[in-house]
Amino acid sequence: MRLVKERKGQFIIIAAMLLSIMIVSVSTVIYGTVTYYRQERWEEYVTIVDSVKTASSNILQIGLANYTQTSNPNVLRDYFNSWIRDVRNAYPGFGVDVGYDLAKSPPYSLGLARSWNQPTSYVASNATVSIDIASVGLTGYNFSSHVFLKMSILDAGWYSKESQRYVIINATVSREGPEPIVNLKASNFLNVTLDGVSQSFSVKRYYSSTYSYFIYEIKVSSIYSKPSSVEVTLLDNRGIRTISYTETVEQISN
Amino acid sequence: MRVVEAIMASLIVISAVTFLYFFASTPSSQAHDTSELEKIGHNILHDIDEQRLLARFVYKLEWANLTSALVVSLPTNVYFNLSIYDINHNSIGDQLIQYGDQQVFTSSSAVASVTYILPGYQTSYNPRILVLKLVNG
Repeated sequence: MRLVKERKGQFIIIAAMLLSIMIVSVSTVIYGTVTYYRQERWEEYVTIVDSVKTASSNILQIGLANYTQTSNPNVLRDYFNSWIRDVRNAYPGFGVDVGYDLAKSPPYSLGLARSWNQPTSYVASNATVSIDIASVGLTGYNFSSHVFLKMSILDAGWYSKESQRYVIINATVSREGPEPIVNLKASNFLNVTLDGVSQSFSVKRYYSSTYSYFIYEIKVSSIYSKPSSVEVTLLDNRGIRTISYTETVEQISN
Repeated sequence: MRVVEAIMASLIVISAVTFLYFFASTPSSQAHDTSELEKIGHNILHDIDEQRLLARFVYKLEWANLTSALVVSLPTNVYFNLSIYDINHNSIGDQLIQYGDQQVFTSSSAVASVTYILPGYQTSYNPRILVLKLVNG
C-alpha cells in the first residue's frame, strides 16, 4: 500500500518536470520567432537597398543630362560600369553587388534615346538594375527605371495686329510619369531661333483649357516678316536638354 | 499524503517560469531607438534628395544650407553629425556639419548611423558618400 502511494507521488513530480520542459521548449521557440525581426539589422539592409536604388535612378538622370550636352553615346554604360565598382567600396562588408541592363530596343541604344529637331522632341534613358546583398542572401532584386524629357511645339504664329508684329510659340514640356513640368523659367529656354537667327524673348506659363495642359507661351517681339521656321532649345532643372523645331508657322492678322 | 511531492512539483514549475522570465527578456529599447533613428535619418536624406537639394548642397559645398535642412527636418531632440567622403573614403570639406552637443555621441551607446550615396550632380559622375550619425539628445 505504501509502495503504491510513493509511486503516485513520483508521477506528480515527473508530470511537473515534463510540464516544465514543455513550457521552456515552447517558450524558447516562440521567443526566437518573435525576436528574430528585432535582432536582425533589417533597417540597415532596407536603407542600403533604397539608397542604391535611388542612386541608380539618379545615374540614369545624370547620364542622360551628359548625353544631351555632349552627345557621348557611351556615357550611360561608362557611368554604370563605374557605379558597379564604386558601390562595393561604399558599403564594404555587405557584399553589395549591382548589375544593369541598358535598354537596347529601338529607339534606345545603350539605354539612351533622342529625337530632336521635330515639333515634338524628346530624350530618354532606360535601364533595368539588379541589386544583390550577399550578407543577407538577397539576390535577384531588380527594378526598371527611366528618365524622360519631352517638349512639343503645339503651334507657332506670326501676329500682325495694328502696328505690332510678333511671334507666339506655344509649347508643352513633360517628364517621366508622364507629368507636366511647370516650374520652368525663361532662363530654362536656352535659345529661340527664327529662320536660324537667335532672338530675345519672354516666357509666361498658364493653364490652357483648350489643350487641358500647362502651356509655355514664348513671345518674340518686333518680327516684321513671317518666319519660315522656329527652333526652341530647352534645358530643364535636371540639366537635360532637348530641341524642338517646326516649319509650320501660321500668319494671324486682323 | 502527497504534500511533499506537490511542493516539489510546484517548485519545479516555478523554477521553469522564473528561468524563462530572465532568459526571454525583450531586446533593449536602445536597439529599437537606433533602428528608428536610422529610419528617420534615411527618410530625411531621401526626401532632401528627392527635392533636388541634397546634391546641390553637397557638390556646391553649401554646408550651412545642408545643416539647416537637416535641423528643420529632424526632431528637435535628435542630434546629428554628418560626414562626407569621396568614393575612396577621403573626407570632403573641412567644415563641421552637425547639430547639438557632440559629447552625446561619445557618451551614448545608441548612436544610429546612416550611409547614403550620391552618384553625381548635373552631368558629372562623381560619387559622394554621406555618413549621418544620429543620437537622441
